[in-house]
Amino acid sequence: MSKVMTTAEAVDKFVKNGDFLFIGGYIARPPFAAIHEIIRQKKKDLTITRSNAADDFDMLIGAGCVKRFISTFISLGLYGLARCYRRSIEHGIPHKIEIEEYTNLSLPMMLMAGALGMPFVPVKDMVGTDLMNVKSFIGEKKYKMIESPFDGSPVMVVPALNPDTAIIHVQQADEEGNAQMWGIGGDCRWGANAAKQVIVSCERIVTRETIGKDPSRTIVPSFKVAAVTEEPFGAHPGYSPGFYDVDFAMGYYYQQASNTEEGFKEFLDEWVYDVKDRKEYINHYIQKYGYEQFDKLRAEFDYSYPVSYTY
Amino acid sequence: MTTHPDDYIKPELMACCGAREIRDNDVVIVGTGFPSMAANIAVHTHAPGAKMMQESGVFDSHPKRPALSVGDPCLNPGAAMIGGLVEVMGMFLQGGWVDVGFLSGSQVDKYGNINTTVIGDYNKPTSRLPGSGGANPIGALTKRTLIIAVHNSRTFAEKVDFITTPGYLDGPGSREKWGLPANTGPEVIITNKAVLRFDKDTKEACLASYHPDTTIDEVVKLTPWKLKVADDVHETEPPTAEELRVLREVLDPFRMIKIYEKRGYV
Repeated sequence: MSKVMTTAEAVDKFVKNGDFLFIGGYIARPPFAAIHEIIRQKKKDLTITRSNAADDFDMLIGAGCVKRFISTFISLGLYGLARCYRRSIEHGIPHKIEIEEYTNLSLPMMLMAGALGMPFVPVKDMVGTDLMNVKSFIGEKKYKMIESPFDGSPVMVVPALNPDTAIIHVQQADEEGNAQMWGIGGDCRWGANAAKQVIVSCERIVTRETIGKDPSRTIVPSFKVAAVTEEPFGAHPGYSPGFYDVDFAMGYYYQQASNTEEGFKEFLDEWVYDVKDRKEYINHYIQKYGYEQFDKLRAEFDYSYPVSYTY
Repeated sequence: MTTHPDDYIKPELMACCGAREIRDNDVVIVGTGFPSMAANIAVHTHAPGAKMMQESGVFDSHPKRPALSVGDPCLNPGAAMIGGLVEVMGMFLQGGWVDVGFLSGSQVDKYGNINTTVIGDYNKPTSRLPGSGGANPIGALTKRTLIIAVHNSRTFAEKVDFITTPGYLDGPGSREKWGLPANTGPEVIITNKAVLRFDKDTKEACLASYHPDTTIDEVVKLTPWKLKVADDVHETEPPTAEELRVLREVLDPFRMIKIYEKRGYV
């Protein structure tokens, strides 16, 4: 059964106010087409998570969509601290979000535990630090110190996470949702599989036969997938390996814009509210910066050797 | 014979100090900038068998341009293995395979504890910082953590506002009490003025060497805790001609390292 629909339909159907979302990406493959659609549809009270968050999370926070953030880290990378995030925490603009803080080991492990149907998982980090002393909406269930039932040594356990919906952007998927990704993974595979359903945004929809030519690349199977949306250039200004590079100029532009509340609002008007969808966003980009600039981002091709699975 | 040209800048000296901490065949987890340059100098000089990984999921990448983040697209082509955080932070780091990790922070204290979470009160922060990311697990689980810091009373503190990443916590025995793996913890703090090494008994950072343009007195004055001076304290060996050649000709032909001067590493 085909699950192909527009991003607007997918977000309308499968993202509800108050939902807990895993949003994949690691500069690699942030699902920006869906992020912008969530902002356009003015979704509210979301809990969002992933390890190493960046400009996409900052935008959702600045746009007022977020109530809670299960965080390990958020910045604009090369361009420093995340502005909307700081305004939210330091000045309550547009409102103060609640943060539960983990690390780039513990959070991926919590998602892995969720994906594997485990209730909790031991981790070896966090102990002895102030990350144990700050607890927010997860409260006393943020972690527990137990004695190892095997040798009595102190062990920290952290709870499994099962987001309502995962939104990921991958290179290719078929119409049913078998999703294939390659390159830097972050916590995408585990976050997607921990969720109760997945929205798969992809650079291109391919046939089931194409998926079957290299099935080891599939990270999410069709039965977990609620919607498939085809969004070429959908991770911009992030990148998709083999498709296009990071747009550093746009990253800088976002930092400059988000430095002030007004600048951020203008940015949202220009790039989110005043464009209907990703197609209009790309057209606007090309009109503003020229086709040459757009073309410069496109990846060169250096194909791997074909692999064979036959016997 | 080893020669030491005197036209180096401070970040180059610091990168060389980092490189000298890396041994042949070490497994090193790196970020961008300094750490990656330091590790690469080591690979091109005395530690050809050292292997690098990035927390995002990359092992043994040889990028054609300097990576600007640990998720940079240039880390993908040519890597020996790409997975994700569970592979690098879980399978390799928590699994106990990582020898060296590099860290920096907004605040560092005498036990090598690092703050990248908040300046001021946690609930009413003066400045909200990014958070742990991979820093806490790297500080908790690598055998030798190398800390990079600006040597002033803003970065250095007797006690950090918030311990994001464990050094030796409250001092001797603290890491063991919390069950952190044996033989892990900070090894050195490399600053723009000196190299501080952790005393085996007291776990305090002590002055091991001072850079050629400074003195023991100046370093002690710039340090906000009562800095102990090691018995064998000496001047830091300046970069060698070979280290500088690797850095300038092979690793960083555009001298991107100069941006660290603007960040206070002078």
